[in-house]
Amino acid sequence: MAETTPPDPRWCTYFFLFDGSKVKEEGDLTRTGICYFYPEETALEHQEVLCSQLAGVCRCVSELSRSAARLVRLRKLKFAIRMRDDFLWALGCAVELPDVSVCSFLDKLIGLFGFYNGPPRLSYQIDPLLLLKAALILQACHRCPLVLAGCILYRGRVVSTQMPPELTAKVLVHECETHSQYFFKGSNFKDLGPLTDGLASSSGLPSSGRVTSTPVFLTPSEVRDLRHPPVDRPHRSTCPPLQSNRSKPRLLSRTLSDTPAPDTDDHCGPGASNQTVPCSMRSSFSYEACVSSGASPAPGGSPLFSPDYLAEEKGGLSNGLQEEQKEEELVEATSRCSVSSKEGTQVGLETNDFGEKVEEEEEDGSSRGGAERMRQEPMDSERPQDDWREAKEERPVVEMALYRHRVRGLVLALLVEPQFHNDATALEEVYHSSLASLNGLEAHLRNPAPGLASAQGGPYIFAHYDCLQNTLATNLPASSPPGGSGSPHSAPFIKATSLLHAHFCQAPTLQEIIVRNAGSAVYGTRSVAQETYFLQQGTTVRNSGVPNPQDSAFTLPAKARHKLLKHGVNLF
Amino acid sequence: MKCVLIASENAEVLFYWADLDFEQSIREQYGALQEEGPMAFEDSINTLFAPIIISCSTMIDRICDNYTSFSTENNHVYVLQQFEECLYIGVCGDGEENEEDLKRKIYVLKKLIEIHYGMVTLSSSLLRKELRPHDRDQRNHLWRKFQSLLGTYSHLKEQDQSFLVEAVERLIHPTLCEQCIEFLERRLVQQINSSTERAGEEVLHAFILVHTKLLAFYSSRNASTLTSSDLLALILMVQNQFPSNSDLEDMSPEVSNPSCCFVPFLHFSEISPYSICVGPSGAEQDYTPVFQFVDPDIQMAEDSLQTLEVPPPDPSMPSRVFLEVTSKDGFCPMMPHSMYCLTLWPGITLVLLTKVPNSQLATSVYFFLDSFSQLERRLNEVQDGTSVSRSQHSLHDLRNKLDKFIRALSSSDIQVRELQNAWAEFKSKVFSRSGPGVSRELLPCCKNMKTCLCGVYRHYFLVETTRSSQRLSSSLQERAQQSVQEKLLDWKDFLLVKSKRNITMVSYPEFPGLIHFMYVDRTAGQMIAPSINVTDRSTSELGKGPLAHFVKNKVWSFVEMARRYLQKGYTTVTLRDGDYYLCYFLWFENETGYKLEVLDPPTLRDYSAPIGMLASDYYRKLLRYYSKSHNAEVVKCYELLSVHLGVIPTEYILQHCCQLARKLWEPSRIPLL
Repeated sequence: MAETTPPDPRWCTYFFLFDGSKVKEEGDLTRTGICYFYPEETALEHQEVLCSQLAGVCRCVSELSRSAARLVRLRKLKFAIRMRDDFLWALGCAVELPDVSVCSFLDKLIGLFGFYNGPPRLSYQIDPLLLLKAALILQACHRCPLVLAGCILYRGRVVSTQMPPELTAKVLVHECETHSQYFFKGSNFKDLGPLTDGLASSSGLPSSGRVTSTPVFLTPSEVRDLRHPPVDRPHRSTCPPLQSNRSKPRLLSRTLSDTPAPDTDDHCGPGASNQTVPCSMRSSFSYEACVSSGASPAPGGSPLFSPDYLAEEKGGLSNGLQEEQKEEELVEATSRCSVSSKEGTQVGLETNDFGEKVEEEEEDGSSRGGAERMRQEPMDSERPQDDWREAKEERPVVEMALYRHRVRGLVLALLVEPQFHNDATALEEVYHSSLASLNGLEAHLRNPAPGLASAQGGPYIFAHYDCLQNTLATNLPASSPPGGSGSPHSAPFIKATSLLHAHFCQAPTLQEIIVRNAGSAVYGTRSVAQETYFLQQGTTVRNSGVPNPQDSAFTLPAKARHKLLKHGVNLF
Repeated sequence: MKCVLIASENAEVLFYWADLDFEQSIREQYGALQEEGPMAFEDSINTLFAPIIISCSTMIDRICDNYTSFSTENNHVYVLQQFEECLYIGVCGDGEENEEDLKRKIYVLKKLIEIHYGMVTLSSSLLRKELRPHDRDQRNHLWRKFQSLLGTYSHLKEQDQSFLVEAVERLIHPTLCEQCIEFLERRLVQQINSSTERAGEEVLHAFILVHTKLLAFYSSRNASTLTSSDLLALILMVQNQFPSNSDLEDMSPEVSNPSCCFVPFLHFSEISPYSICVGPSGAEQDYTPVFQFVDPDIQMAEDSLQTLEVPPPDPSMPSRVFLEVTSKDGFCPMMPHSMYCLTLWPGITLVLLTKVPNSQLATSVYFFLDSFSQLERRLNEVQDGTSVSRSQHSLHDLRNKLDKFIRALSSSDIQVRELQNAWAEFKSKVFSRSGPGVSRELLPCCKNMKTCLCGVYRHYFLVETTRSSQRLSSSLQERAQQSVQEKLLDWKDFLLVKSKRNITMVSYPEFPGLIHFMYVDRTAGQMIAPSINVTDRSTSELGKGPLAHFVKNKVWSFVEMARRYLQKGYTTVTLRDGDYYLCYFLWFENETGYKLEVLDPPTLRDYSAPIGMLASDYYRKLLRYYSKSHNAEVVKCYELLSVHLGVIPTEYILQHCCQLARKLWEPSRIPLL
C-alpha cells in the first residue's frame, strides 16, 4: 500500500473482532482470540487488555440483562459493540460522538469490514446540466443487455447513479479507497481482496489501464431489484414504454424524453445551480430524482413525493433503517468521515471476501475458525432486537462483476453480468460509447462554476438532510482535514448539530429547537423526511441570557427559511 | 427492573438495593440452585457482578481509564461510578431511568451515606465496617434504611417539582412565614437554648416543613449557613421518616385511570417497605391495599424479614447527621449535628438541628485529614529519592497542632491510642535524623494517619452517640412540639391545602397560552412553580388525568433536556414539541437585579457529576466560575422554564418569558431568615 493515512481517530480509535470461543480455558491466551485489531501497531499487550476486558464485561452484562451488550462507555472513549455468538465486534471512538451514530457506524463497518474509508458524501453541488450528461452516459451504457446498472462518481462523490443507495455506497467506498490510496491495513487482512488489487485481470478489456474489473457478490434481493426494478408503480404510468428489445432485462435508465429538458424549465436556471444532487433511493428513480429536485424548488409537488411513493418506501424500508440512513448522513455532516454502506444486507460480499483472505493468511491458524463461522452466520444489523444468542442463517450470494472506467477523478462504475468480460462486442460498445462523454464530463467537473465553492467564511452555515431523496446538502467547508472537528468557525455548528440530531432521534414529537450560548446560536428543524440545521455567523449579541425578545437567536428560523431557499431547501 | 449496589475494591457488595423485578430476574438465573432467602440473593448479586467489578480495577490499572456505562440491545442501562475505593453501579432494565437518572441516583446515594457517616466515608475500611456490619440483622436493618431512602428519593424525584429541579420550594405566604420565623426565634430556639435540659446541645437551625415545602426557616446567629444540598437531603430524610399520606388520599378507587396513579405508587411501596415499620400510625393500613399487588411469595419473604428487624428506635432519639459548616474556626464539610424531627400533624413537621458537644473536634480532624492529603499529593509529585524540603515549615506547624490535639484527647480510648502510635511512627520517620525524611516512603504512614483520624472521628460522633443517651430531654422536645402546634393550630388545614396549591396558574391571567413555568433562584437554592396535581381528585388548571400527566411528563423530560444542553454549555434552549413550545433560560444578575453579561458555562464530560444541587453542587461551582470575572459584585444565578401552547406566536412567548422573569423576581426576594 503506497501511503496510509489513518482514519479519523475520533471516529475510529480501535476496531476489533474477538472470538471468545478461542479463549475459554484458564490457559488460553487472549491473543488467540483476536481475529482482527486496528490499529495494528497497538501493542499486543494492550490489544489483549482491551479485548479480554471488553469481552468479559460484555458477557457479564449480557447474562445479567439477557441481551447482547451494545455500547460500553469509558471516560476517555466509548465502544459500540456487536455480539454474535462467540464473536465480539467493537468500534472504539471519541466519547462526544452521539451513541446512535457510533452504533450504526459499527454496523456499517461490519458490513464493509475492511473497506472503511474517508469522506464519501452522497451529495455534490453541481450544475444540473452536468447531471444530465452523466445520466446520458449511464443510459448509453445501459443499452448493453449485460449491464445491470451503473453510477458515475467524481472524487469520491456520486454524480449520478442507477443503483440503490446500499450498492452505490459500496461502490463508492471502494472507489474512495482506490482514489485516495488508503484503507485499513489489518494484519490478517492486508489485502482486501481482488476488489482493490489486480483489477485488470480480465482478458477481454480494451487495452487501457484505466478500465478495470473485479468480481463482486450481490444478495439475491439486490440482483432481483436490479433485474426487475419496481418501475410499474401507479405514479410512473406516464412513462413511455421502453423501446428496448423485449428479451433484454428491463432497463433502469430513463430516456431524456421522460424528463423536462433543463433549458425549457423556468426553475432550472442559474438560481438552481447549486442544487444538491441526490443519490437515488431506488435505482429507478435516480434520474428522475435529480431532475425533479433540480427543477422544482418545492419537491412536494414532484411525483416522487406522492403519497403512493411515500407509502411504498415506508413499507419497503424499516423505520430503523431509515433512522440509520439519517444517522449516517449526519455522521458525514459532523465529521465528514463516514462509510456509506446503508446496511448490512450485503454481508455476503464482505464475509466471503473476509473468509478468503483469512484462508490465505492462515499463518497463525487462529482466525480460520472465526472466518468460517462468520461466513456461515453473517451479521444482521437490521434486526438488532433479535435474541443475541440466536444463530443466523447463511445467505447465498450471486457473483457479478464491477466494471470501472476511470478518467482522472471521474469513474464510471457498472455492475455487469459475469459474462460481460468475455463478450468483446459488448465491451467495445460500452467503452467507446462512453469514452468521449466521460472526458467531456470530467473536464466540466474539474472546473466548477464560480460561486459554487464552499461557503467558508460565509455569513451562515447549514446542513440539510433529506431521507427520501437520500441527500445531504451543506455548505460546510469540505477542505478541512478529516481528522479534525472542522475549522474553528464551523466547530460550534458541528457541536450543536450533533447534540440536536441526537435529541431529534430520541424525541419523535420534537419539531424545532434553538440552542444558544454566549458565542453562537443554532437552529434545528425537522419534518418527516428532513432535518435542517442553521447557524448565522457574526451576529452574536452578547446579552445576559435573560429572556429577551430582541435576541437575534430567535430570528434564526426566519433567516434559515429565507437564506436556504436559494439552496433549494424549503422550510415553509 | 432496577438495582443499585456499592462494591468495595475487593469486589464485596457493601450495599445493594434491587426492585422485585430485578430480584426475580436474578433468582431465575442464579437462584435455582441456591437456598432461598436474602443472604442467598446477596451472594448471587455478588457473584454476578464480580466480573464487572474486577474488570473496573483492571481497566484503571492497565489503561488508566474506567467504565462509565454499558447498554444492551434490549435497552438495559448500567452506570458505573468510582468514588475513592468504592464502586457504585446502577442498573435499569425497564426504560424508566436513563444513564443520567442512574448517575443522579448514585450521587444521591453517596450524599445520603455522607450525611449519615460524615468523614468516616473518607476511609474505605471504616466505611466498610459501617455499611456492612457482620451481624446479619443489623445489616438487614441498615440496608433497609438506605433502600427506603432511595425509594423515597425516586418517588420524590418523579412526583415533586422541587426534587425534580433540586431546589427548595417555599410556601408562598409572606405574612405567616414572617410570623413563624419570629416564633421560631423568640419562642422556640431561644427557649431551648436557655434551658437546662438541653444536655449541652444548642439549636442552630429550626424549620417547619409542610410535606416537602418549607414554611419557615430560622438559623441562630452563630450558626453557619445551611447549604441547599444539605437542606434538600434533610427534607428527603424527613419525608422518608414520615411519608406524606397525600398520595394515598388521592388513591381512592373512583380514580378513573388507575394505571396513572397506581403505577408510581406501587413502585414506591415496593422499594420502601421500611417505611411501614417506622412510619406514623395509620401509614401501615394505608399501605395495605398496595401490597395486594405483590407476589404472595415475596410478601412472605418480606414478612419474615420484618420479624428479624431491630425494633424501631426511641422516637425522642435524634438522628446523627453530618452537615457542611463554615465558621470562624474553619471549614468542615461534614460537621456532626443532631436532627430532631417532631411531627406536628401528619404532613407537618418541625425539624431542629443542634450542635453537639465536642463538635469542634470535627473541624480539627478535617484540618488534619486535609493536611495529610496535601502531603500525599506532594509526595506523589516528587521524583523518587528526592525529598520535599519546602514543606518543612508546614510540617512543623502540623506537628505542633497535632501534638496539642492528641494531648487534649482522652487516651483511654483505643482509637486515640492508635492515633498516638501512628503519629509517633510518622514523627520518627520525618523528624528523627535516622529516619527517611519527607519522601515517598511516607505514603503508607500518611494513609495510616488518615485512617486513625477517621477512627477517632467515628468513635466520637458515631459510636459514642449511639451508646449514650445524649439528647435534648424528652420533655423539652415535647414542649417545643406543643408550642408550635398551638401556634399553627388554626392554620393547619390551610397549610395542608396550600402545600398542594402553593401557587396556581389562575394567578397569571396576563399570560394567555402559558401552561406552566418554573423559576429557580440558584444562589438561594429556591424555586417557584405552579402546582401540578396529577393525583388530585379535584381538577386543576391543567385539567385532570391524562392531560395533566402529559404536561407533567413534558416538563420532566424538558428539565432533563435543558440540563443536557447546559452540560454542553448552552444557556438558552427553546423548542417546539408537538403542540407545545418550551423555553429554558439561565442568566446571571448582580444583587440589584442588573443583568450581567452571559458567559459560556464550561462544557462538561458525559460522566461528570449531575447538574443539580442535591448531590453535587453544580450551580455553586458555576457561580464560583462566573464570579472569577466579577470579583467586585455578588453574582446571582436564575433559571426560567416555560411551557406554552404551540399556537402562540413565538414573539409573544418570548415576551411572556421576559415579563415572567421580571414579575417572579420580587417574590423570590422574601427573606428566608
